[in-house]
Amino acid sequence: MSRVAVAVAAPVEEPRVRSSSLWRDGVRRLRRNKLAVAGGIVIALLCVVAIFADFLAPLPYTKSNFGRLNEAPSRDFPLGTDLLGRDLLSRMIYGARVSMLVGLGAQVIVVLIGVPIGALSGYIGGRTDMFLTRFIDVMYAFPRLLFVILLMSMLGAGLTNIFIAIGLTGWVGIARQTRAQVLAIKEKEFIDGARALGAGFRRLLMRHILPNALTPIVVAVTFGIPEAIFTEAALSFIGVGINPPTPSWGQMVGEGQQYIRSYWHLCVFPSIAIAVTMLSFTFFGDGVRDALDPKLK
Amino acid sequence: MRVPRISDSQMELLATRLAAIGVGRRDFLRVAAGLATMGAAGFNARPVSGAPKLAPGEKLAREQHLRFGGGSWYEQDPSSHDFNKDLYCSGTPQLWAGLMKFNVNFEAVPYVAEKVTPNKDGSVWTFAIRKDSKWSDGSPCTARDFEYSWKRQLDPASAAPYASFLYDIKNGEAFNKKQLTDAREVGVRAKDDWTLEVTLEGPRGYFPVLSAYLAALPGHKGSIEKHGDKWTEAANIVSNGPFVLDTWEHNKVIVLRKNKHFFGAKDITLEKVTIPIIPIASGVLPYENNEIDLTRLAPADLKRLQSDPKTAKEVFRFPYPGTWYLLPQVTKPPFDNLKVRKAVAHAIDRENIVKVSQGFAVPAHAMIPPGFPGALDDKKTRDLQRFDPKLAMSMLKGTPFEGGKNWPKISLTMRDEALGSKQLAEAVQAVLLENLNMKTELEVLEQRVFRERLWKQDLQFVWIRWFMDYPDPHNEYFDTFYGKKTTGKRQAWVNDAFDKELEAGRDTSDPKKRLVHYAKAEEIMQNDVGYVPVAWVVRYATAKPTVRGIEKNRQGEVVVDGNIYTDMLMHIYMVDKA
Repeated sequence: MSRVAVAVAAPVEEPRVRSSSLWRDGVRRLRRNKLAVAGGIVIALLCVVAIFADFLAPLPYTKSNFGRLNEAPSRDFPLGTDLLGRDLLSRMIYGARVSMLVGLGAQVIVVLIGVPIGALSGYIGGRTDMFLTRFIDVMYAFPRLLFVILLMSMLGAGLTNIFIAIGLTGWVGIARQTRAQVLAIKEKEFIDGARALGAGFRRLLMRHILPNALTPIVVAVTFGIPEAIFTEAALSFIGVGINPPTPSWGQMVGEGQQYIRSYWHLCVFPSIAIAVTMLSFTFFGDGVRDALDPKLK
Repeated sequence: MRVPRISDSQMELLATRLAAIGVGRRDFLRVAAGLATMGAAGFNARPVSGAPKLAPGEKLAREQHLRFGGGSWYEQDPSSHDFNKDLYCSGTPQLWAGLMKFNVNFEAVPYVAEKVTPNKDGSVWTFAIRKDSKWSDGSPCTARDFEYSWKRQLDPASAAPYASFLYDIKNGEAFNKKQLTDAREVGVRAKDDWTLEVTLEGPRGYFPVLSAYLAALPGHKGSIEKHGDKWTEAANIVSNGPFVLDTWEHNKVIVLRKNKHFFGAKDITLEKVTIPIIPIASGVLPYENNEIDLTRLAPADLKRLQSDPKTAKEVFRFPYPGTWYLLPQVTKPPFDNLKVRKAVAHAIDRENIVKVSQGFAVPAHAMIPPGFPGALDDKKTRDLQRFDPKLAMSMLKGTPFEGGKNWPKISLTMRDEALGSKQLAEAVQAVLLENLNMKTELEVLEQRVFRERLWKQDLQFVWIRWFMDYPDPHNEYFDTFYGKKTTGKRQAWVNDAFDKELEAGRDTSDPKKRLVHYAKAEEIMQNDVGYVPVAWVVRYATAKPTVRGIEKNRQGEVVVDGNIYTDMLMHIYMVDKA
């Protein structure tokens, strides 16, 4: 809401008009990409499931039925029951909430860390840039998943800590992209113009440079979300992710895979959920990238 | 033969000995089980192994070849087979024969020694060695070999990590710590080829038990000197046990063959043993593919094997006495409130909880599992924590949590381990939520971190187990819950009346009266809810019908190799399929 209000209040500026038409073009192109649309629909559905889990799940995710353990899919339990006699479908629905929360929550942290560092590094340049870039390089050199596991074992399992761990390790890519964009844009003539008109450091960065650097950031975020979801799944799979009884797809696969020969449904359904989610985000992300690429008109 | 009495001070010493080698007193004290019965069993030689007792219509298989492993047996490549240097090398103990060994009842019995004689106070022990004791190269294995081996373990130059195991030997500690350089002053001496005299630091009635443990196995001087650290590779090794190392392909397979020079060779039927090194995660698959004949089972596979008529008969239970229980930390809210602890005790729906264990647990109402000395099965004990959700909820009356409201954040903590522990913990969470509306979060900690925090009594609510080390209530109560324990104490809960019963139990010699003290202790502990018993451990293994001769203990339970009893292979024989 507020953004719209600002847009109306602000004097019409050349770059803003261009960027908004870029977005409109983008949406148009995205619509034409069938795979991306399909991905988008699945993602939208997942969001709905995550938000309305309380209404959609037939049973609470903690409800154990000790008389009906490890049952195969049936009319009572469409996806069967788990090792504790809990409805697998309900747990998967709540699992979607965890996955979406992690995917979006971690990206918020990633953007909050990565964009300012990248922007400052690119804009200020000189020694600051040198220092920050080397720092980014060092961070980049760590194997991501190992670093996350290390952080998790230090912080302890839990949803908040997953945000933190993924956020702290995931920002480097975005920082690099932002820096590259800022470096390119700050040499543009309209920046010189703005500066000549007396725009300060903050105004230049926030109003002129960053909005123009937004495209690659958006693309990076679309690809970052599935990566975060997958990282959470991997962490929960090895047992350092979400604490039980909160369900997580990765955890369900991790526990179920030992039982695959006795109770196949325990790990097959959550695996499918992870795979479909990953695929949807990837298609959607590809679509967004192509749609926002100004070279592809 | 009379065995010197083992005094409490000796037992304490034994405990320090163990703490020092990092075995933890539990692991080793398991062997002390034999102490009580040692006198009765006697120290005289006996047949090494019985001949196969074939059932009618059964025929010995032409190829006496056993393939075993899996289910946490040999899941990793051993670092060596050199038990003489490192008792945790995780090699194959059947390559070796010690002076004594543990029989199927966990009692120390003579092995390479044919007679063991203490002096009057038990400070000097003389082992008469069997004259037919040989190395696998045919040369005699004498008292001198054992003198060499034990001194090798004590020699600081060997850098044996658990040398303190032998510190009971006179000057052993001084020699190991370089306070003394002359190995001749160490109290182990071969008087002649067939007599080993061991002089100890003082009276040590338990010494025969020590000499039956893995750490007292010998090493072969010639091979050690020739090959150094590589002396237990298949090409280099010379051993003295029932089997020899035929092949050892690292990370892949160990192949044993019968040692024809072993003194008991004529009683051993098995000719060849193949031990594939397979990760625990592969479960029972290799067994079902007929790649192994005998394996231990994980919960994931038990039900399936039991429900398949083809394999149901092959599955058997083996003793692994242990108790799963909850520790509400009495120093942390809400468990500082006795009413809350009582509510928890009565809210645990044990019958239902064990259902999730896939058969690896049965409901428990006390520390000691049924069939062991001190086990309680009376109504009074059962009533102490009888499952009764209404009673549980009513316990909360008058507390801030009345009606199951206002619970603070509660973390239930457990260690990362297999065999269904996590499912049980989750079931505990489920029943607490159901019956007390108590929300808990399950925190699974890595082994080392868990122990550190446990011993700091830093955890709010703990899901934990105790595996019995030796069948005496002292192990189940004193080693776990004694309030004046200084190391490895799991809970902040202390109760003087409880401690007094334990002390009385320890200091009483009449076995019946002792048990009365322990029963009283259990009652005090449950009334004060120092712990909440939940389930007793059960374990399973499976063997093809062609595998015969696995020993049974006095209780009639089938026993397979563990870290104490390692005598299984020499009793096994293979028969043809009927």
